[in-house]
Amino acid sequence: MIKEGIGLGTMFYGTGYGNGFPDVSKAEAVLRADGKVAVHTGATEVGQGAKTAMTQIACEVLGLKVNDIILISEDTSNMPDSGTAAASRQTYNTGNAVKKTCEDLREKIKEEAKLKLNLNTDVGLKLKDGYVYVETLPEKSIALKDLAKDKSLKIKGSFTAQTTEMDPETGQGAPYWPYTFGACAVKVSVDTLTGEVNVLKAVFTQDVGRAINPSLVEGQMDGGFSMALGYALLEDINVDNGKIKNDSFTNYLIPTSLDMIDIDNILIEDPENTAPYGAKGVGEPVMIPVTPAILNAIYDAVKVRITEIPVTPSRVLKELNKSKK
Amino acid sequence: MNLEVYNPKSTVEVLDLLNKYKRDAKLIAGGTDLVLDLREKKIKPKAIIDISNLDELKYIKKDNNYIEIGASTTFTDIEKSEILTDNLKGLKKAAREVGSPQIRNRGTIGGNICNASPAADIVPPLLSLDATVVIKSKDNKREVSLEKIFLNKGKIDIKEDEMVLSVKFKNTKGKLGFYKLGLRKALAISKIATAIYIEKEDNICKEIRIGNGALGRHGLRERKVEDYLINKEINEAIIEASATLLSEEIEKRLKGRSSLEFKKEAVKGTFKKAFKDAL
Repeated sequence: MIKEGIGLGTMFYGTGYGNGFPDVSKAEAVLRADGKVAVHTGATEVGQGAKTAMTQIACEVLGLKVNDIILISEDTSNMPDSGTAAASRQTYNTGNAVKKTCEDLREKIKEEAKLKLNLNTDVGLKLKDGYVYVETLPEKSIALKDLAKDKSLKIKGSFTAQTTEMDPETGQGAPYWPYTFGACAVKVSVDTLTGEVNVLKAVFTQDVGRAINPSLVEGQMDGGFSMALGYALLEDINVDNGKIKNDSFTNYLIPTSLDMIDIDNILIEDPENTAPYGAKGVGEPVMIPVTPAILNAIYDAVKVRITEIPVTPSRVLKELNKSKK
Repeated sequence: MNLEVYNPKSTVEVLDLLNKYKRDAKLIAGGTDLVLDLREKKIKPKAIIDISNLDELKYIKKDNNYIEIGASTTFTDIEKSEILTDNLKGLKKAAREVGSPQIRNRGTIGGNICNASPAADIVPPLLSLDATVVIKSKDNKREVSLEKIFLNKGKIDIKEDEMVLSVKFKNTKGKLGFYKLGLRKALAISKIATAIYIEKEDNICKEIRIGNGALGRHGLRERKVEDYLINKEINEAIIEASATLLSEEIEKRLKGRSSLEFKKEAVKGTFKKAFKDAL
């Protein structure tokens, strides 16, 4: 018999290393002789979209197009350290470093423009599409490449997240800054004859502070959901006496495209005031509420609480049988 | 390692090569099992005979008496065949649920039988169709019931100079149902696969054949349950009683196995689903 159920999972999660651990990102921004800006920073791209997000932040600050930003990352001889692509921290932490450094470069560019344009002040100067100009008199302008003709302008900057250690006695404190929030609701069907569980529908909300790139955030949400679906229903390393039995993708099963469903993703935007344009990390958070939601939905469907993952057909039938006795 | 690869143009050439190399030769059609064994050095043949381009082994044909499928016919060919009509949807379903599109485009019906995996997906429906395997050597041709061909897990009654030419079964009007229980929706090895062929008159079961996969050393017919069902009126109570009987059979067969607890329960589910699929 096919039984259906609905389950919810919620979570909150701290961005970054936390707990007083030094969480530092560095960046360098250089206005080159060709008028393009090189941003050197150690934000490693692991498919999450770090390169896109860093480039977008630099573009936004400097009024430049994507092609006018040269992002240099993953080359340790040519970039400062920005910590690991881990702890959901790159967009928040390194994003802040890139933003701050590019803002300093922008001020330096305005100073140089003031001199070159014989102005009294840099107040009211704007940067757009490779030019600096007086906002009330746009013809008073100079191209960035003319500013950098004789000497390149270079700025170094860094950002350190505010994290404090928890009280080792009580475990109390505020170990992270910022936190992000999420919730997921899923509908599943459970076949009580074979123990098969199917995820049918999902609505997934993620607080992102501000989405630097909404498509990438949705991609993260799809990816996190899929990983959590595998975690809930499929993935098992099967350790036996210290030896991993499922040591290849033949028996360590991850979801295929047929196991994945279309998710109704909803981004919640509530900008964080210490974050670059308000953006918080979502890399890890997007996996967290999904597995509990699936397990709760299974409970709702068959009124049997399964406490071990993955929830394979074998476990479902075992628990259903136990509950009958 | 000195490995010769042959590209014969006809089955006559294939059989000459088999006759020459005997046990040192391996036939390759889709290669979806053989290549893995080669990579893992489980087998070390001296010659590989590629039959994947032999069109004479790729066909699905039908006359008034029989439907015959050439050994190198792929799962995709079976899945898309218009010759296999709706009453045989269980066979198409089994083909469609093999691996992934890439594997279905390469893997063949002959290979699936000869590899003799207990979980071979195409075997249960063919057992339910009471299929016959057509086997040829250089000097001899014989036909064996598929049910009798499996000797053990991975072992099949085909001699070293023989090859499978085709599989055939009677062109009848009964319906074939199928249900595969795997752990995910693609690229899943069967935990249980059940195929059921039914011919009925006025809701009386006149002919029934049940084929199971992954419930023994190789695919098996479930004679006891068949005998129970024959000439009975088909209703919920009978289906339920048959499922229980099947479960008891599986319990005897898998005694001592860690999978028993699960499979004796789940088989009731695959049986009922395949049965309804065949009505």
